[in-house]
Amino acid sequence: MVFQESFEWYIALYLFLGGVGAGAILSAAFADLYDREKYVNYIKSASLIGMPAVAIGCFFLLIDLGQGLTKPWLLIYLFANPTSAITWGTAILTLFIIVSLLYAAYNFNFIKFGGGKITLLSLIVLAIGTAGYTGVLLGVLRAIPFWHQTLIPVLFIISAISTGISATVVVKEILFSKKKENIAPIETGHFYLMVLEFMMVIAMIIIALNGVPEMVFSIKVLLSGKYAVQFWLIFMILGLLLPTLLYGLQEIKKLHMKGSFLIIIELLVLLGGYYLRYLILHAGVFTEKFAHYIG
Amino acid sequence: MIKNKKYVMVYAIDRCVDCKACMVACKAQWQVPENHFRTHIDEKYSPGKYAPNRKYFLPSQCNHCDEAPCVSVCPTKASHKREDGIVYVDRDICIGCKYCIVSCPYDARFFNEEVGVAEKCTFCLPWIQQGHQPACATTCLSNTRIFGDINDPNSEVSKFLAEAKRNKSKIWKLREDLGTEPNIYYVQS
Repeated sequence: MVFQESFEWYIALYLFLGGVGAGAILSAAFADLYDREKYVNYIKSASLIGMPAVAIGCFFLLIDLGQGLTKPWLLIYLFANPTSAITWGTAILTLFIIVSLLYAAYNFNFIKFGGGKITLLSLIVLAIGTAGYTGVLLGVLRAIPFWHQTLIPVLFIISAISTGISATVVVKEILFSKKKENIAPIETGHFYLMVLEFMMVIAMIIIALNGVPEMVFSIKVLLSGKYAVQFWLIFMILGLLLPTLLYGLQEIKKLHMKGSFLIIIELLVLLGGYYLRYLILHAGVFTEKFAHYIG
Repeated sequence: MIKNKKYVMVYAIDRCVDCKACMVACKAQWQVPENHFRTHIDEKYSPGKYAPNRKYFLPSQCNHCDEAPCVSVCPTKASHKREDGIVYVDRDICIGCKYCIVSCPYDARFFNEEVGVAEKCTFCLPWIQQGHQPACATTCLSNTRIFGDINDPNSEVSKFLAEAKRNKSKIWKLREDLGTEPNIYYVQS
């Protein structure tokens, strides 16, 4: 089996930051639709992290491009091919960055008119598009069977919302720690998202273990191969199970997380989100071209 | 009506002795970066039904697919299919996103760090326009590689394939189940 070596940690970071920004804005837009007054500090925190996260992610894509820095005029060609997922993504991310920048300007009173529900609904569509694109980018490739699953975009959207909420809570704890704001419904939602993500990862493992030989190889690299420590320790335990357990304890009122403890737990969720993408990228192997032969 | 040229290559794989002259000739011809080759030779074992396993040397390179995934995923259209059947990368507009590299089921592409573009076999494009054969086919000492225009019934490839069909040789292309419609024929007598 031949590992793909073209998409490295730059791309993992790009996919991760794209998800964080999209997830933060998505959660804020829903909170805004529901009750803007109640969640105003959450919304402000999300708009501080949302657009910059996606923009920094795009910066990492840019430095990964072979000729992006030396011939920047070529960037306009990224819109050239309607059959390419990168063209779709470039369009979605461009719109997302513009609209979420306007939204942030409105939330911090730089502009008076925010577009009301139209802005919020378009942000929801664009954020789901941005988060989903990071998975579709990998999902459309037939050449790498482990990525060629419908599960990947869905898992990336779930993980994007989860990491987006975590990043927003970190910003909120740092900037607005004095102002008490009850975001219990968002925390509850976050807990269920983490449970859902855990179940999807289990589904991914079971499906890949029963897939074509390339998929079996990829998942075994994660479960027991050279990425096993990162997969189990960093992603599964620190990034997924520990935060889910603590959120669960919080849900049944056995625990109340705040301050630096909360920040550390949210950072663990972010670490897990990054590692999810990093590991899926690095576990990708090309489909076997000499399928008739062994050896 | 005169049909367009359609360049293809045939590997008569029984003849390959794994001398790797094709890999070296290609590399020398096109100043391929140090760590990469545009063509490879794999060693594979065919499970024998009645006899012990048999070893084969299987060359591979860009298959110049008719439905090339690298062409449909290229955001800038730098990867394109030419009228003569060659899938070609225009270095002036390739932005170096590497998406084509991970889209190729044949792992035929690599990233040229020196220039910042995706690179692969071109069937020696400028060279064959001057009437030459590709470097790998010219140098192949066992005549494993046969190159030419499949739309011309008198070309060497057309004749070789017709002969192979008459002899009921095994003729196949790589992973046709993926729908890429590759243009490299493997012939095993």
